[in-house]
Amino acid sequence: MQSTKATLLLLGLGLLAVRCVREASIDLPELPTRIVAISHFLPGQPVQVEVSLSQTLTDAGDPDIPANADVSISVEGIFLDKLYKVTNGTDGRIYWESRDTVKAGVKYALSVRITGYDEVEAVSAAPEPVVLGAVSIDTANMRLVPLSDGKLALRVPLEIRPASLPANGRYFAFGLQHEIEVFELVNGQPVPDEYYQASTKFLADGRTLSLVYDTPEKVVLVNENLWNGNNEVLTLDALIPFNPENERPRHLYLEWRTLSEEFYRYHLSLARQGNNLPLNDPDALYNNIQGGYGNFSGYSFIIDTLSIPNPF
Amino acid sequence: MAIRISIFLLVGWILGAYNPVYGQNPLTRPLDFTCTSCTPAEALVALSRQTTVNIVFSNRFFENCPPVDISVRQQTLQAILEQIGACAKVSFRLVDNQIVFTRRTERFTLSGFARDAETGERLIGVSIYLNGTARNAISTNEYGFFSVPLEPGAYTLVGRYIGYQPLVLPLDLSKDMLLTLSLVPDAALPEVIIKAPSIRKQGTRDRESQHNLPLADMFKLPMPGGEADLLRLAALQPGVQSGVDGLGGLHVRGGNADQNLILLDDVPVYNPNHALGLLSVFNPATVNNARLWKGDFPARYSGRASSVLDIRTRDGHFREYHGDVSVGLFATSVTLEGPLVRDTSSLLISTRATYFGPWIDFFSRRDNLLTISGDNVGYRFYDVNVKWNYIFSPKNRLYFSFYRGGDVFQNQFEQRFDDPEGLFTDTYGLASEWGNSIAALRWNHLLRKNLFTNTTIRFSRFFYQSQLTLLSTFLSSSGKESLLANYGQFYQTLIQDWSAKTDFSYFPSERLTLRWGISYTLHTFQPGALSVNFLVPGQSPITVDSLSKALLNNERLLADEADAYIDAEWRFAKKWSLAAGLNTTVFQIRNSNYGALQPRIRLQRNTESGWSQWLGFHRTAQNLHQIGSFNISLPFELWVPSTAKVPSEKAWQSAMGLGWTGQGWRLQVEGYYKKLDRVLTFLSSNSAIFAGGAEDASGWEDRVAAGEGQGYGLEVTLEKSFSSTLFTTNYTWSKAERRFPDLNSGRPFPFRFDRRHDLKITVQQRLAPWLDASAIWAFATGNPITLAGVKFQHHSPNGDIERTVYAYTEVNGFRLPNYHRLDISMQAHFGNDQVRHAIQLGVYNAYNRANPFFLYVDSGSGTNAKAIQYTLLPLLPVFRYEIKF
Repeated sequence: MQSTKATLLLLGLGLLAVRCVREASIDLPELPTRIVAISHFLPGQPVQVEVSLSQTLTDAGDPDIPANADVSISVEGIFLDKLYKVTNGTDGRIYWESRDTVKAGVKYALSVRITGYDEVEAVSAAPEPVVLGAVSIDTANMRLVPLSDGKLALRVPLEIRPASLPANGRYFAFGLQHEIEVFELVNGQPVPDEYYQASTKFLADGRTLSLVYDTPEKVVLVNENLWNGNNEVLTLDALIPFNPENERPRHLYLEWRTLSEEFYRYHLSLARQGNNLPLNDPDALYNNIQGGYGNFSGYSFIIDTLSIPNPF
Repeated sequence: MAIRISIFLLVGWILGAYNPVYGQNPLTRPLDFTCTSCTPAEALVALSRQTTVNIVFSNRFFENCPPVDISVRQQTLQAILEQIGACAKVSFRLVDNQIVFTRRTERFTLSGFARDAETGERLIGVSIYLNGTARNAISTNEYGFFSVPLEPGAYTLVGRYIGYQPLVLPLDLSKDMLLTLSLVPDAALPEVIIKAPSIRKQGTRDRESQHNLPLADMFKLPMPGGEADLLRLAALQPGVQSGVDGLGGLHVRGGNADQNLILLDDVPVYNPNHALGLLSVFNPATVNNARLWKGDFPARYSGRASSVLDIRTRDGHFREYHGDVSVGLFATSVTLEGPLVRDTSSLLISTRATYFGPWIDFFSRRDNLLTISGDNVGYRFYDVNVKWNYIFSPKNRLYFSFYRGGDVFQNQFEQRFDDPEGLFTDTYGLASEWGNSIAALRWNHLLRKNLFTNTTIRFSRFFYQSQLTLLSTFLSSSGKESLLANYGQFYQTLIQDWSAKTDFSYFPSERLTLRWGISYTLHTFQPGALSVNFLVPGQSPITVDSLSKALLNNERLLADEADAYIDAEWRFAKKWSLAAGLNTTVFQIRNSNYGALQPRIRLQRNTESGWSQWLGFHRTAQNLHQIGSFNISLPFELWVPSTAKVPSEKAWQSAMGLGWTGQGWRLQVEGYYKKLDRVLTFLSSNSAIFAGGAEDASGWEDRVAAGEGQGYGLEVTLEKSFSSTLFTTNYTWSKAERRFPDLNSGRPFPFRFDRRHDLKITVQQRLAPWLDASAIWAFATGNPITLAGVKFQHHSPNGDIERTVYAYTEVNGFRLPNYHRLDISMQAHFGNDQVRHAIQLGVYNAYNRANPFFLYVDSGSGTNAKAIQYTLLPLLPVFRYEIKF
């Protein structure tokens, strides 16, 4: 809502003293409906592909999920697997899943056929992970930030240093989660009662914040330009809110993804889309699905667990 | 015809004598020579006989010389000849082994200033012809100065300038002369009639004056609200594009808006627009001259890649006090001018202010667009111009120019949300202000009769700042009100220059003009500083997150820029002229240096039959860049320098053309090709649009992408003048595109202001001595925009994050419908010598064409999703009343 208001505000600035809005019948670039295939696969896991059909922009309904789709993967032109349809019992999500699991460094070719639509194809691989050389907490600069609702936020300065940055293709993403211990006071002593995890927000310097982007993947994409100028460290402050009366931050989990170029380019172009806002200057969507839309890309990840020192 | 050579001696060859030194230079041969009580002629004859070298001379050369005694030993022939000829103004040279005496040419310098006979205003670009030598016209420079060396004799000087009676001045040049050419404004004759022949006379011949914009048209042609505007006039020229209805800046031959060097009294103006381009910052009442160079600009201009718009303001009346009040539908300007010391010093003060408020209220009520909820929208702009000048002596003059202008926008609105437990109220406020300040102190000095200098100290500053506030309260059903949030966000960006420069203009002969100069500029950049203040500290982790942007990019960057240039204009043959120059620039920031050599060359041929042909090549460099991410030029787009990470932009352009003038016609056809290297774009997150323009510029160097661009096209101007009609057609066929490795998957895409066809037709008609009519019809291919063709959904693996993905397949891959409109106006002018009135009435966009500004595809919920076309200017009245006294 705020965005809409602000947009109108800017329009107001631009459309001073004039009558401005006029609905008109415009020939939009109506493109034919094509197959949409989205799959981010990782080593050791089966390939899962969501298949749907593209919608016109003026179609306000839900996307069509085809009842029947022939989804297969191959390696170097040799058929590997025909994926089978799965309906997730929890959220009703429908996807096609392979029987085999993904091997790092192997280029997989995806093929999706649906009667009445052009066949789509895509190729990608899950890269070998770039391991982390060091992930450290600057305990000396940890501090507590009071929140108005009585909670505290613990700022945890982090330094993330890949072991060896590749010369090219520095495609990474990361995600932070923290674990909170909920305790009870028994005889004045805290006794752990339960634990819960939550997504962790973070702060950083302006340059870093301007070079990381939210994705629909629960990880933050890191622009390759972040590593310009011999910069080999990602520095940020994790923000962990907790109730000091019965909670303690215990662990921080860092998911560090090494991305294929297809993954990186696709999500980078999503970040530059502009969300269909007027007056913006969006980038074209990166699309490696030949004959359709979506993204077929691999990645690999490692998870580093950090113990959080007692802030008190 | 007088026979100047009465005696021609061929002594040696007639006698057939053997010349033992044939093949050597006889002038260096030593010899003994004696001649007593000889006239110079007698001595030369004797010398010729002795040396057997032909000596050609005229007795008239030595008419006033007494007899001399000469007796020398072993002196060179050259020394002896110099001794003989010392009594007369003669010189000699060796031609085909003969010695030829000629009268030593005596040349005097005719120089001076051209000015308005009534106001004393110096006139820029006056064409000066001597003895009808139209092909070799010279023109006055930016300060009305001209200089030409001439042989003694009688001349007829003719000075021509648009809107002035031709000045015919007989001269008997027998010494150096410093003239003041006073040209009389031709109020009695229709300017339409005057204008056409003046242009025809100048045509495409005089490189300097051919770029003058016809300022008189600015007041006659219909413009929105009746507001005469210089940039709209410039946009009528071929090869010049603007955004829809003038918004979006000027784009010359496929160049970016920031690639135009816009100078006001020699000072760069960084934001030339008010109201996003509806009007320019140049108050028309203050403009004396404007030149638009679309690429073939001389080497004295540098710093921008595409074009130069050089605007000079009026000096003010030197003899009388006068005023000018102009009232349009959008703004009113008041100008006062007069002498501080008659014929020595003058002062001009002009102010302009807008009254958009009633318009905003009117359209808010009408369309409910600007009314959001309990809003309080306000917008205004203002300009102040001051020009003072003082003539210390005929050779020294001081100018001081000052300009200050700004825009102020503010809006406040509320959102209320009913809740079973109470009422939530969010009050948003936005206050934005931006503007330019410039100042220039210039000293004109005539160093020698043919050497003009100008030294300038300059200041230019552009800033943008905005303040966004949010006050969030909750009124519970029990009547208790509590504060939920109260924060303010402040954002500012600026660019500021201090500079000094000295320019020299040297006129060594009537065929050659040299200009050279140096300059130094200290730039200060603040790409964008954002601060956030929470009056109620931290509400939630979300607000804590927002704190991260507090004052993170408050750095100011300093950069040094030095320029040196030399320009030469040389008429090396009867029909041919060459304009060549070289500019060298050094730009230093932090520890990075960028240097650039920028050659400029133009070859031109003019014939007596009215034809001209020319060919040019130009190299330019640019170290200041305006980067943004929107489809229109907005004031909060950032000015940034070249740095180690952000490369210097380079461009080269070649152009060739031909022109013909005659029989009331003027035709000009010019083709060009422009290549842009390392043109920049900002990879923005578009968040600025939500924050009143606040773009957190942190890390901007890593968010700038460098690419390349090219543009080519053909421009045609056809003009025909009748006795009381002037018909002008400007047509451009062009193509412009960009390519960035980081955008559009590396594929080239059309420049956002690429238009294949651009046609502007203007007609000016004098209906009666007191009544003019004019019309403009403009047509342009629709602007390219980026639209998504389809959309799809992207879910996170566990399905809890869903995002609609818009499949923009090509950047600028879709074109808006074509643009066209018709503007019509009539202008009546009446009054007497003391008070003159002018009234302009008309309509802008007469047939109410809904020209698309942009499309917004509303893909919101429900079944009524549709494409909405936004139109800027519908049919608008044109009204302006002006009184001069």
